[in-house]
Amino acid sequence: MPPRWLVFLALLATVAAVLPFTIVARVRATPDANRAVHIFQDMDFQAKFKTQTKNPLFADHRAMRPAVEGSVARGEVYADTHYWEGAVQGDWADGLPSQLQLTDAFIERGQQRFNIYCSACHGYSGYGDGIVNQRAMALMSNTNGPVMGTRWVAAKSLHDPLVREHRLGMLFNIATNGIRNMAGYQGQITTDDRWAIACYVQALQRSQNATTQDVPPELRKDLPLLK
Amino acid sequence: MSRFSFPRWSNLLLPVIILVGATMPLYAAYFVAYGFSPKTLDAGYQPTQPIPFSHALHAGQLGLDCRYCHIGVDRAASASIPVTQTCMNCHTTIRPESPKLAKLNESNLTGMPVEWTRVHKLPDFAFFNHAAHVTRGVGCATCHGRIDKMEVVYQFSPLSMGWCLECHREPVTNLRSPMDVTNMRLDPAKDLGIDEQTRLQARFQISPSENCTTCHR
Repeated sequence: MPPRWLVFLALLATVAAVLPFTIVARVRATPDANRAVHIFQDMDFQAKFKTQTKNPLFADHRAMRPAVEGSVARGEVYADTHYWEGAVQGDWADGLPSQLQLTDAFIERGQQRFNIYCSACHGYSGYGDGIVNQRAMALMSNTNGPVMGTRWVAAKSLHDPLVREHRLGMLFNIATNGIRNMAGYQGQITTDDRWAIACYVQALQRSQNATTQDVPPELRKDLPLLK
Repeated sequence: MSRFSFPRWSNLLLPVIILVGATMPLYAAYFVAYGFSPKTLDAGYQPTQPIPFSHALHAGQLGLDCRYCHIGVDRAASASIPVTQTCMNCHTTIRPESPKLAKLNESNLTGMPVEWTRVHKLPDFAFFNHAAHVTRGVGCATCHGRIDKMEVVYQFSPLSMGWCLECHREPVTNLRSPMDVTNMRLDPAKDLGIDEQTRLQARFQISPSENCTTCHR
C-alpha cells in the first residue's frame, strides 16, 4: 500500500478537479452586474455611433441628433390638415383622409394598436376600466391620502354619451395630441395607426350600443337565440 | 548501506500517471468549452440602471404590451429604449413625488436623456433587425426570457453566433403566430406543438438565411 499522505493527496487532487466546474456552474446560475472581460477584441467595438448610443461631443450626449426646430422632413409637409390634424376647413373630419381606405384589415390593425396603447387605461372594451386606471384609482383612495403626490383623474369611458358624439377627426386628434390629463401619442403611434385606432374606437362604440338595425338582415333570425 | 529499491506500491504509479495524462487534455478542453462559453461569460449580465424600473411590475403585473414602450420593435432594426415622455404619459400623475422617479423628473425638466445602461450588446460587425423577427413570429420571450418576471433585466441568451445559427438552421420550434409575439406566458414549443408550428412556418414562408452577409454587412 502507498503511504497514507499520498493516498490523501490523490483524493484531494480528485476533489479539486471538480472545483473549477462547480465555480463555472455557479457563475452561470448567478446574474453579474459587470460585463465579462473582453479578451479578444476582434472588431467588436468600432469607432462609430449606433442607435441611441452616447456621443460626449454634444451637450445632451445624444448621438442621434434631434431634428432642428422648424425643419421639415421629406414627405412630412403638414399641409394636408385632414390627414395630419383630422380637420377639414376648420371643422372635425367625418371620414378618413383620401390616402387611407376603410377595410377589415384596417379596423383589425386599429384593434391591435388600441389593445397595445389605449387599453392600459381605457380597458379592452373601452369602459375606462384598464388596469393602469384601476391601480391609479387605488393609489388615490389610499387612507392616508393619495400615494406620493398621485393626482390621477379616472380614464373616460369611450361609451360615455359625450365621447360618442366625437367625430372621427376629433378622435384622431385626441390620440395625436391628448386631451385634459391624457398625453398625446404622436411620438409612439404612427399617423396611419392613429387613424386606424380612431376607426376602431367608433366600431367599439357602435358594438356597445348596437340595435337590431346593425345586424345584417339575413342574420337577424338568429337574434332571439342570443337573449 | 543497503541499495535503494522502489517499494512495491510504486508499481501503481504508472497506470495512475497514464490515466491522468490521458484525461488531462480532455479535462482542459471541457473546462474551456464550458467555462469560456458565451453562456457562462455573456448571459446573466444584469447592470444596475439609473432608475430602478421594474419590468416585473410594468410588463408583469400591469401587463403593458412590450410595444407600448419599445415602439421600434415591429418597424425598425432597433427595439429602442423609450423616451422620457413615454414614462411621463402616466408618471406626470402617478406617484410623481416618488424618490425613485427623481432622475426621470429631472430628465423631463432639463431635456437631457436618461442614460440607461445597455444590457444586450452585439459586436459592432453584427447587424440584427428586430422588426424582421417580431413581425414573422419570433416572440420577445424566445430571446429575452420571461422579462415579465424580472425585477431588474438581465441578459437571458448568450447572443453568440452559434446561438443565432441554432435557430436559423432549425427555426420551427421557436415559431408562434405574429399576433402573439409579445405574449410572455406562451411557450411555443409546448403550447402550439410541432404541427401548428410547421403550418406557421409554411404560411409565413420562414426559411432563415445562413449566409454570412445576412448579419455581417
